[in-house]
Amino acid sequence: MFDSDQPVIIAFVAIITFAITFVSTPIIARIMRRRGVIGTDVHKVSRIEIPEMCGLAILIGLTFGSLTYFSIDPSSGNEITAFLATTLIAGAIGFLDDLRPLSARVKPLLTVLASLPIILLHAYTPYPMIPLLGTVTLTIVYPVLILVAIPVTSNAVNMMDVMNGSMPGTASIIMATMTVILLISGKIHTAAISIGVLAASLAFFYYNRFPAKVFSGDTGSLAVGAALGAIAILGRIEIVMVVALIPQIMNAFYGLSSVGRLYERREIPQRPIRLLDDGSLESSAERRAPVTLARLILARGSATEREVVGGMMILTVVSSMMAILTYCITVVIKP
Amino acid sequence: MNRVLPLVAIEIFVWLGLLLSTFLISKVVYTIDFGNGTIFERIVTQTTRVVVSGSIILVWLFAWKNLTNRYLWRALSRRKATA
Repeated sequence: MFDSDQPVIIAFVAIITFAITFVSTPIIARIMRRRGVIGTDVHKVSRIEIPEMCGLAILIGLTFGSLTYFSIDPSSGNEITAFLATTLIAGAIGFLDDLRPLSARVKPLLTVLASLPIILLHAYTPYPMIPLLGTVTLTIVYPVLILVAIPVTSNAVNMMDVMNGSMPGTASIIMATMTVILLISGKIHTAAISIGVLAASLAFFYYNRFPAKVFSGDTGSLAVGAALGAIAILGRIEIVMVVALIPQIMNAFYGLSSVGRLYERREIPQRPIRLLDDGSLESSAERRAPVTLARLILARGSATEREVVGGMMILTVVSSMMAILTYCITVVIKP
Repeated sequence: MNRVLPLVAIEIFVWLGLLLSTFLISKVVYTIDFGNGTIFERIVTQTTRVVVSGSIILVWLFAWKNLTNRYLWRALSRRKATA
C-alpha cells in the first residue's frame, strides 16, 4: 500500500529515468554514427541513414532509474533485480543481433534466457488472476509459462518496431495504462518500475518519432518487450498485459501465420508495403508477402508513414481501454 | 480513422474471444480433475487442462486469422477495382 512519500519517490524515479534516457540518446547516436553503425530509413524517398542501436539509451535510463528506486526503497530489491536482469539480458541479445544478425530461430530461443532471472529469483506468484475465473493455481505450469511469456512479449514488441516512433509510441501508451492499473491495485514497487519504462519510452519517442533521428535497433525493442513481460509477471497483471498488447500480438500473429514460420524481415523477398514516389506507403497486393499490421492499415489505400503510425497508436489506445475493462472484470466479477 | 475502424472491430473480436475462451476454460476445463494427491496426478491434471485450453485457443486463433484474411483480400480487391 501507499505511504505518503511514495508518490514523490515514484515521480523522482520517472524524472531520473526520463532525464538520463533523454540526455544519453543523442550521445549514443553520435557514437554510433561515428562508428558507422547506421541503418537506412526504407520508408523515406531520400533513404536517409540513421544511427542504429540507440535503444542502449533506454537500457541506461532504466538501469539508473531502477537503481535509484532500490537505493531509496531497498525492500524492492528482489523485484528490481529480476526486472533489471531480464531487461538487460534481452537488451544484450538485441545488441548481439544488431552487431551480427541472428537467425529467425536463434533469436527467440536466446530470449528464453531473459526469463531465467524471474524464475531463479522466484519473483513471481504462480496464482495469476484471470477474468471470469478468479485466481488460478498454476504452481508447476507457471514457470514454464514464464519461459514462453518473455520471448513472446520481447519479440512481439520487436516486430512492431517497423516505422518511425511505432515501438516507443505504442509502448508508452501501454506503460501509462499499466502504471495506472498497478497504482490502483496497490503494487507500488512494480508501479515504480512501470513508470520508469514509461519515462524511458517517452524520452526515446522524442527522438524516434517521425522523422526519426535515431533507431532503437533490437537492443531497445527486445529490452522494452522483455520489460513489459517482466512487469506483467511481477505485478500479476498477465492477462491485462496480453489485452494491452493485442496490436503487437496481432502483428506478430499475422506475420507468423502468413509466412508459416519464424522469419526475419531481411529473409522475405516480398515486402508487405511499398514506398510510392510521392513518399506515401501502399499495401502490397502480392499474395506471398507477409501480412502485417501496417499492411492491414494500408489495405484501403495509400497513406503517409505518420498516418500509419497514428493508426497503430489508435489501436493501442483501444487495446489499453480494453485492458482497463479486463482489469475491472477481473477484480469485480469473481466466480 | 476510417482505415483503422475495421481493425478496431477485429481487435474487439479478439478481446471478446479471449474473454469467451476464459469463460469456457473456467466452466469446462477447470472441472477436469485427475486428483491432487501425488505430484504425478497434479502434473496430469494441470497438463490436461493446458492442452484442452490450448485447443480452445486454437479455434479462436483460426477464426481470428480467417476474419483478418477476409478483410485484407476484400479491401485489396476493392482498391484494385477502384484504381
